[in-house]
Amino acid sequence: MDGDCGVLWGKVSPWPLGTGDNGVPWGKLHPWLLGMGDNGVPRGQRGLMGKAKSPPFGDRGQQGPMRRTGSHENNGVPRGKVSPWPLGQGTAGSREDKGIRWGAASTGAHGPPGGWARRSLSAGPAGPRRPSPSPAEGAGRAAGEQRCWVYHCSRVAAMVLKVFFPSCCSSAESGILIGRWISEQNSAVILAVVHFPFIPVQVKQYVSEVQRVTKVNVSVLGSWSNSKQEKEESLSEFLEDLGTIFSHEPWIQISKEGNSKFWSCSTLQKHSNNPKEEEIILVYYDQRKVMLSHLHPPLDTAASTDRKADDASKLSAIFDTVAKSKVLFMTDRYDDGPIKLTHWQSDGVEASIIVELLKQASVPACMLLTFLLSVISGICRSRVLKFWPLSFLWSKLSTCEQLGYRLQHLQVISSNKKAQNESQLMRKANIFVSLLIDVALGILLMSWLYRKNRIGHLADTLIPVADNVAEELQDLLQWLMGAPAGLKMNRALDQVLGRFFLYHIHLWISYIHLMSPFIEMILWYVGLSACLGLTMALCILSDIIALLTFHIYCFYVYGARLYCLKIYGLSSLWRLFRGKKWNVLRQRVDSCSYDLDQLFIGTLLFTILLFLLPTTALYYLVFTLLRLLVVIVQGLIHLLVDLIDSLPLYSIILRLCRSYRLAAGVKFRVLEQQDGKPLRLLMQINPLSYSSVVQTYRLPTYSCYPKDSWTSLCKKLFLGELIYPWKHKGEKQD
Amino acid sequence: MEERLYRSASGAPIALRPRQHSASCRELAVRCPRLQLRSLSAVTSAVWLAAYGLFVLSENSMVLSAAIFITLIGLIIYLHFVKIDQESLLVIGSLGIQVTSSYASGKESTTFIEMGQVKDVVINEAIHMQKVIYYLCILLQDPGDPQGVSDIVPLFQSSKPRLDCLIEVYKSCQEILEQRKTAPQPSGIK
Amino acid sequence: WQKVLYERQPFPDNYVDQRFLEELRKNVHARRYRYRAVVFQSGAVVQQLCSVCVFVLTWWYMAAGALSPQGLFAAALASSLLGYVLFDAVDGGAGRWASGRTRWADLKSTLVFAAFTYGFSPVLKTLTESISTDTIYAMSALMLLGHLIFFDYGANAAIVSSTLSLNMAIFASVCLASRLPRSLHAFVMVTFAMQIFALWPMLQKKLKAQTPRCYVGVTVLFALAALAGLATVSSVGAVLFASLLLAISCLCPYCLIRLQLLKDNIHGPWDEAEIKEDLSRFL
Repeated sequence: MDGDCGVLWGKVSPWPLGTGDNGVPWGKLHPWLLGMGDNGVPRGQRGLMGKAKSPPFGDRGQQGPMRRTGSHENNGVPRGKVSPWPLGQGTAGSREDKGIRWGAASTGAHGPPGGWARRSLSAGPAGPRRPSPSPAEGAGRAAGEQRCWVYHCSRVAAMVLKVFFPSCCSSAESGILIGRWISEQNSAVILAVVHFPFIPVQVKQYVSEVQRVTKVNVSVLGSWSNSKQEKEESLSEFLEDLGTIFSHEPWIQISKEGNSKFWSCSTLQKHSNNPKEEEIILVYYDQRKVMLSHLHPPLDTAASTDRKADDASKLSAIFDTVAKSKVLFMTDRYDDGPIKLTHWQSDGVEASIIVELLKQASVPACMLLTFLLSVISGICRSRVLKFWPLSFLWSKLSTCEQLGYRLQHLQVISSNKKAQNESQLMRKANIFVSLLIDVALGILLMSWLYRKNRIGHLADTLIPVADNVAEELQDLLQWLMGAPAGLKMNRALDQVLGRFFLYHIHLWISYIHLMSPFIEMILWYVGLSACLGLTMALCILSDIIALLTFHIYCFYVYGARLYCLKIYGLSSLWRLFRGKKWNVLRQRVDSCSYDLDQLFIGTLLFTILLFLLPTTALYYLVFTLLRLLVVIVQGLIHLLVDLIDSLPLYSIILRLCRSYRLAAGVKFRVLEQQDGKPLRLLMQINPLSYSSVVQTYRLPTYSCYPKDSWTSLCKKLFLGELIYPWKHKGEKQD
Repeated sequence: MEERLYRSASGAPIALRPRQHSASCRELAVRCPRLQLRSLSAVTSAVWLAAYGLFVLSENSMVLSAAIFITLIGLIIYLHFVKIDQESLLVIGSLGIQVTSSYASGKESTTFIEMGQVKDVVINEAIHMQKVIYYLCILLQDPGDPQGVSDIVPLFQSSKPRLDCLIEVYKSCQEILEQRKTAPQPSGIK
Repeated sequence: WQKVLYERQPFPDNYVDQRFLEELRKNVHARRYRYRAVVFQSGAVVQQLCSVCVFVLTWWYMAAGALSPQGLFAAALASSLLGYVLFDAVDGGAGRWASGRTRWADLKSTLVFAAFTYGFSPVLKTLTESISTDTIYAMSALMLLGHLIFFDYGANAAIVSSTLSLNMAIFASVCLASRLPRSLHAFVMVTFAMQIFALWPMLQKKLKAQTPRCYVGVTVLFALAALAGLATVSSVGAVLFASLLLAISCLCPYCLIRLQLLKDNIHGPWDEAEIKEDLSRFL
């Protein structure tokens, strides 16, 4: 026999096909099948009990999915938990699919009441693929039965139906599937299986309740039958008739028999105006992982804000669906409610005692911390500390900046507001872990420092080191005052400058010697601050270096100013030498006729400056190099501090241990296929790469980065302008 | 499915293995040439000879152990991060396209591009120095502009098959991509 | 045949008839120089050469100790006063009245010069201590040469820049002055350089404009004085210098006039490509 679309059947349906008065062919009447009523309420034409063939009733734990308790009313609706009757709809059936034979398997080849068009699954227009058998067949089919369906239809455009099935429900008992139907993607995301017995009204109530709470469009999508035995033919018809109670289009029927890996999937379309052959793709997903994971959009598109909700990618819709349906997963099998579900938590809701304890303990801790922080920030903001010398000092010391930064972090952590979304939560966690690691490293450093009197040793070596540095500087100056590297220096100027700087060094040494008795005590107290964190210790180190090399900074400033003055004078006088002038208005060099006296004095000065240039330039060069050395050392320390501050350690550890939490996307694996069955894919989470993790979750810092490019830095050095090569993010550009 | 032998752009032998899992799902895997023993031994001997030369000059045996370490670590890094064994393309109609590269150490790096973002799969010509090379790439749709292309994703970057192999892959992909054009729009379209 | 191209003629396009080159003119704008005038004008160059020579001689004498700074200062002062008076007397005060410069301003300028130079003379003296003598000589020679090249001899050329020439001269003088034994020498030297390179040419320009005969006489005297001084230092140098002066004043004009006869500029009813570019931007 040939169907409309040329489906050839190997095995013919065992039951004769007759046609009923409404044109619906029926064979043996399904025990639960009722005729149609006007109001759609099934009439109890034939008692369910009477004609029940195989479905066991009232038995929990039996293979059959149906459990019945209580008698049924005269309208056929049984009281109790089970509502096995499908609701017939009133329309006369159309006979368009008259020719479609299905069967070969078990149950009768009777069409569904009410003109439901039975869709058998077709393959795409490409090769000869078979439609998968209906679940009804699956219920009753013997394990070894072969079926060869040859498909030689012409190329018909196919719509592909995608069913996302949670892998935890693979071994669930039969029931109905609830989830979300995403019509624009033609895909169904199945969230849980509701087992028999149930009352449809209660199920509908529950579903609408869930829908209201989660704002996810949850509905009953189809039926699931997991039969350990064979030949559950009556069950299959019953299941498809369930489609009439829960009107959903299309009605998905999945069935699994025995322990077979290959399931059968079919859909029922009510409105059969355009029967399309659909291919079904079955995608397994790990519900727990998908629920817990957070999908990160690609970094470049994350910035674009003009994405309508409709344009949201399919994957994020699926992830959202599962994530928002959290309340659905809160009921487990030990709950005593009217609805029995199977999902990933149905064996028991996951919880951890430690986490709960921490949550309880964190509330008072947060309040205490908030109070302390408010006190400290009140002190910091007091007027006393805002006077000019002090405020200038605070702005120059990097320790204060780091302290302020950490206070900010603490405020973020200890705030009472719950994190709004995932990224805020990650931020809080990152800050917390970063602080923890920082303090741990600091305490480690402290314990190492305070052992074996290392502070004393450090203090003892500090003075000789400072003396050594000063002596080296003195030697350097003596060398400069001679004939350094064979260069021709102007002796007089040389002597002047050299003596000037030597005097400064002398002052510095005496200052150090004055401080030497107190060094150890100062260091001891300063070392205590390492308990606030390694970053604080590093900042203090950087500040100490800055203080100790203050004289180098002073020398640099003197030398740079002198040199800068000289260079400007020379350039201006050179223009005078040639008879030109700088036109400020037009920003260019114009010719100019000078007076005689201007010419004379100008040339004289030009000569003097020119011949004194090598001397000044050499001093400038030497001190600039020293200053650059100090700046580089300080910069390295600051880089290290920034690294510790901004590294999102919690995210990295999460990526290492629970990589499914941070998802960059998904990946699909094609599982074993069998002809005639839907395409089986396994959807796994593709974790974010480490570099993306760091980039996405980086904590913003007051990072210091070079202010100038290389060319402008060289230009500044050449012209003698003072350089401050590191710019902090919060500073205004002057 | 059977493997077909082709050549890469540089002349090395590569193999294409197409598989059809279902009507709308195809997988095309290109296997790159294996790591040659010749080149491996050449590099190792060069490094070790250089290290030996340094050892003779400096009389420091640390140079030799350093050379061994460097070779081992270099080999591990090469196998894990550089040497790609197989590149495969999995086209699932109505879901998307998945590009996988498997490295010699077993690591796999996967990218999945949803079908809604894919505008087309094309073969592009590129002029590189003095050669003209062909490469297959996926054109991504620009969300704002229906005619525009926001990005391209080049495929088979390390195996670099020649045009004949690319045409095979292209035809396979196009057959599946056509389906989505001829498929009627699902209900409830946005 | 008509000399047009927009009408068809039975002749080829490049046909010319016997009236060809009728309109050719040669040397239309050629100037006729007269020997005496050219010699007269070359006096300016002679003057500058002599100035340089005198300056170098003075420096030489001071370095050798034959000339004391005080004497030089007195002589220079006297001659400046004389020149100052002459400057106004020559044109009867017309120039001063035209420029509007008062004597008080002149006095101020002088005082500023003197104070400045005196104040900086110690610095000037030690300026080039560490630089070798050869370098100093080379630099000074270069600067003086530059001074001669860029000097404004009255010609209207792009290369002329009086500022540059003066500055180069002062630079040279400072270089040389730094080689003298004491700071007073340096002060005197620089002042003298100022007078001979800045003030003397101004006076000479005025003389040339007002009293040409006087100018010629002054030039000749100046040249003779320079030669005499040079002869005491080095006779070879004197001979060479004399020949140089003669060449510039007598030989060069003669060559110029002779070469004028070979001038062969053609002019006609065609357009000539001329380069009208201001080369002074290279200076």
